[in-house]
Amino acid sequence: MSLKAWLGIDKLQKFQQIVKEIGGVRAVLRKRYLMDVTRVGTLVGNDKYGNRYYENNEYFVPRNRWVEFPDKVWLDYDASQVPPEWHSWLHHITDSPPTVQEPLTQKFSLDHKENTSIYADKKYIPYSTTRTKVQAWTPGQKPNFD
Amino acid sequence: MLSALRTAGAFTTRRFAGTQAIAGSSEAPKGIATTGTPFLNPSSKAEYALARLDDVMNLAQRGSIWPLTFGLACCAVEMMHFAAPRYDMDRYGVVFRASPRQADLIFVAGTVTNKMAPALRRIYDQMPEAKWVISMGSCANGGGYYHYAYSVLRGADRVIPVDIYVPGCPPTAEALLYGVLQLQKKIKRKREAQLWYRR
Repeated sequence: MSLKAWLGIDKLQKFQQIVKEIGGVRAVLRKRYLMDVTRVGTLVGNDKYGNRYYENNEYFVPRNRWVEFPDKVWLDYDASQVPPEWHSWLHHITDSPPTVQEPLTQKFSLDHKENTSIYADKKYIPYSTTRTKVQAWTPGQKPNFD
Repeated sequence: MLSALRTAGAFTTRRFAGTQAIAGSSEAPKGIATTGTPFLNPSSKAEYALARLDDVMNLAQRGSIWPLTFGLACCAVEMMHFAAPRYDMDRYGVVFRASPRQADLIFVAGTVTNKMAPALRRIYDQMPEAKWVISMGSCANGGGYYHYAYSVLRGADRVIPVDIYVPGCPPTAEALLYGVLQLQKKIKRKREAQLWYRR
């Protein structure tokens, strides 16, 4: 163990290197604000939604692959914004990313959509074929009880 | 009424598709949007101030959701996995609190039987206001496998209002984690102070 490693100076040097690679202190603070982590990796690919995928095998297995969401979603990022082919790479279901090995797509497969079920105006409401169980009543009118 | 619902649904999906197409650029949102607040168009100065108050309240509330354990069946095991180091709910400020008086959230994890239903309602009533419910698993969502059983409640939402439904039988700990994150997003848009002002 060198004196540098014993004093932990190599960690500081590595951090300095990471700050330099991200592009300055402001960029690091911005990244920490958006991702809660300061790390750099090699860009593996992009998808059509603007997500960028990175890999850095210096980190242990579940943390070595990650996604950076586009700036337009800002803090409203969500796990369902990752399309299925990249999801399988991100979670180590496949070894190679979809840029290397094109995933099998069928002509009937639908386009990926993010989960918007918590937004009242965007959530999916199924079409019901049954009669409603409640009878609506407009206020101001006298109900007819017969 | 049904046709109205259908047309409204079609309209919103079309509008949503439109916004998706416009927001094609990867530019950072301008102005206050960079702070992550959902309240962007206040109509007056008072509303602006109350929107910021809402932001602070929502930040505090979503940063420390204390769930009440209401484990009823096998879903409870997945709920425990969510608490264990691999998924580690403590990262999100979610810490189990075994008393309804100090809890913000209740995980209804498992089959709610008819015999348990009044107990569930009483526990829910004992929780202080600003409370949320996550219904976990098919059984709590709508009866699930026991939907036609004589002794089982067909969904926890028959006795308490549910915020997030987590599907699965049982849902994975990951799914429950996603449900909690969805709830945090939902709390982010809560406009308690602004509604108080409107009233």
